[in-house]
Amino acid sequence: MDVSFDEVSFTYPSGVEAVKRVSLDIPSGQRFAIVGQNGAGKTTLVRHLNGIFQPTSGTVHVGDWTTTGHTIAELSARVGYVFQNPDEQLFARKVIDDVAFGPKNLGFEPDRAEALVAAALERTGLTAEAQTHPHHLSLSERKRVALAAVLAMDTPVVVLDEPTTGQDEHGVRMIASIVQSLEFQGRTVIAITHDMDFCAENFERVVAMAQGEILADGTPADVFAQDAVLDTARVEAPQLARLADALGWTNRPLTVDSFVDALPAHRQ
Amino acid sequence: MIDLTDVSYAYPDTDRFVLSHINLNVPAGTVAGIVGASGSGKTTLAKIISGFVPHVDGGQLEGTVVVDGATVADVTLAEAVSHVGLVIQSPFNQISGAKFTVREELAFGLENLGVAREEMAERVAEVAELLGITSLLERSPYALSGGQQQLVAIASMIIMRTPVLVMDEPTSQLDPGGTRMVFDVMSSLRDTGITLVIFEHKLEHLREHADVIHVLADHQLIASGPARSMLADPRLEEWGIGSTRFTTAARAARDRGLLAKNVELPVSLQDAVPLFEEFDAKRGA
Amino acid sequence: MATTLFDVRKSAIHRLNPVTKLIALLAIIVTVFAIPLWWVAGLIVVLVVAPAAVISGSGGRLLSLSLKILIPIILVLFIVQGLTFPGGKTVIWEWGIIDITTEGLMFALGIGSRIIVLVLASILLVLTTHPGDLMSALTERGMSPKFAYIISSTLQLIPAFRERADSILLAQQARGLSLKGSPVRRVKVMLPLLSPLVLGMFTDVEERSTAMEARAFGSTAKRTSLIPVPDTLVQRIARWLFVVLALAAVATPIALGLL
Repeated sequence: MDVSFDEVSFTYPSGVEAVKRVSLDIPSGQRFAIVGQNGAGKTTLVRHLNGIFQPTSGTVHVGDWTTTGHTIAELSARVGYVFQNPDEQLFARKVIDDVAFGPKNLGFEPDRAEALVAAALERTGLTAEAQTHPHHLSLSERKRVALAAVLAMDTPVVVLDEPTTGQDEHGVRMIASIVQSLEFQGRTVIAITHDMDFCAENFERVVAMAQGEILADGTPADVFAQDAVLDTARVEAPQLARLADALGWTNRPLTVDSFVDALPAHRQ
Repeated sequence: MIDLTDVSYAYPDTDRFVLSHINLNVPAGTVAGIVGASGSGKTTLAKIISGFVPHVDGGQLEGTVVVDGATVADVTLAEAVSHVGLVIQSPFNQISGAKFTVREELAFGLENLGVAREEMAERVAEVAELLGITSLLERSPYALSGGQQQLVAIASMIIMRTPVLVMDEPTSQLDPGGTRMVFDVMSSLRDTGITLVIFEHKLEHLREHADVIHVLADHQLIASGPARSMLADPRLEEWGIGSTRFTTAARAARDRGLLAKNVELPVSLQDAVPLFEEFDAKRGA
Repeated sequence: MATTLFDVRKSAIHRLNPVTKLIALLAIIVTVFAIPLWWVAGLIVVLVVAPAAVISGSGGRLLSLSLKILIPIILVLFIVQGLTFPGGKTVIWEWGIIDITTEGLMFALGIGSRIIVLVLASILLVLTTHPGDLMSALTERGMSPKFAYIISSTLQLIPAFRERADSILLAQQARGLSLKGSPVRRVKVMLPLLSPLVLGMFTDVEERSTAMEARAFGSTAKRTSLIPVPDTLVQRIARWLFVVLALAAVATPIALGLL
């Protein structure tokens, strides 16, 4: 399902203008990442997608809906939102009940709900913890429960707010593979992240934001090649792009494979 | 400065040891980085070094913990905390709740110690400057974002000037700019003679700022070594800690014969640049 | 997020030592409750509370907040006491079995005037005194820092937890929970969702106490305070004067045989 922001601005009641005239078209099935320093307006922007925020001006479309015409609960059938802090999201006494909460609210047939819940637990490596109280899990595991809970809702759009914070290597890889498989299922994935390597390796489009505005919009290769943008957005290029830059290469490979492949051509 | 000898620990009401037979030595004025997958016991170890285990959490603690000359189990918690400071994982919970502005929040610990007013004001100004939070001093600590709260939490511990500082994932809520700043602050603290223990996932920063890396896996301190060689160790993959892209790329290049077989693998950008000098376009030009 | 009612201003009233204001408040309350004459309460409002409110610049907020609290109390008081006062003889208005007596109204006036003074003076204190300053001032005078902490943290953490409760409800709506329907249904749906909040509160308290100990909260040293609490000789004398006045107010009715 495609989503779009049309000249969207948002001002908090305190008067802080968090989002300024942002326009974006995100086609169905895209893996889309937003980067930028804390306070750049990233979370405020994506919270428009499920109606937590309504634009002060401009419009937000999710498929053929305009968000102003729908409640958060209605929009949740289209947009799954994984909050940054899992403790705002989890409430049940068992992991499995928490994951089943969304499908139940959306009125799925019991068979379908059960299959979705089982698949989501499997994908997030939590099958063995299905009967555990979320409170007894570590923060990184609770973050994965929150992700599973949204995956089980089978929404055409999935929003991830800083999915890799507090995750160890194993957790980051698992989330990366989930992002890839969501795209494989044709779902739109929109993620906010501070992990530029995770971003470069798993997303096909990146937007850099600063002070509520979009500074750059393109493929990771495009965006991570613009030093001025990275400076203003206060983000660093992925590790190997920084290495290529330090070595004076004109191109900036983003992944291990592309870096190693480019080595022979740069041998003196 | 920190000496753990054969330390094992089980939380109250269980016989399962979350840490077993830990031997750890951190010399004065150095930075120790501790890495480990989720659930490897990092937070528990942080609490043991800073005396909260067993003073607050109870449970079964075996072995001895000596920090700054004090045997932690034998002194009161109030004395233990005068030797060692702890920055906990959740900045929200580090904020005391007793104070209505960041300025007073930063001074809270000094007030408890009875430090003179003029000195408190100086130390507040200094630590706020160090962490770039001077503009937040008059705000309520609860009106801040998670990242800002994390900086306040770190500042509120640094201001105590304990000889030892333990930090449990101090940059989890920070963006890349904030993370870099906090690590730079750690280095400048080390330069003033403070001993630091940092529990972190961000390996490139650990390489740049830690002297020695200790690895926790399967409830044990499974390996230790100088930052570069330890963080490039291939076993880190098995232990669920992973490696930086610099390490992975150099390893792949070595395996394809593009780098020498005996090359010392890089962990950070600074390590990698000289290693790849024969691929340096500027030199070639 | 407003954590307190404190009205940020720099008036002479705001700058008074919090303890001076607290003792003045207590003296006023003791006086009006000791002297059973409604016009004494009236005089205190006119001569003390109203001028203080005007000087503080917080008069507008004082009025709007107090009216919200006082109007329902006073209405109920006059209706109930006017109608049912047991000693009521002088009927001034009657309709069927309902009659309003002068004695009842006078009794209501006596109680009502005291409540008015109590509410006005207390709210003025809250509006012009930052709770943090009040706690520092009291701690300086030997109040337990742990007690001060309980008061301050309650004031701060309640709004913080309310904010967290809002986030939790939003997060559940984002998972398809509909909050439409009757209020009873909404409460029924919402209550179980707040269990993580309660559970989280326990974990938070545990973690927070660890963090507090790390910052020497358990220290036995004599505490200092970053922000000086202003005090003057005039205020010190005034505080003793308030105490003397309050004692005199207690003694007067006894001496005059009013009781």
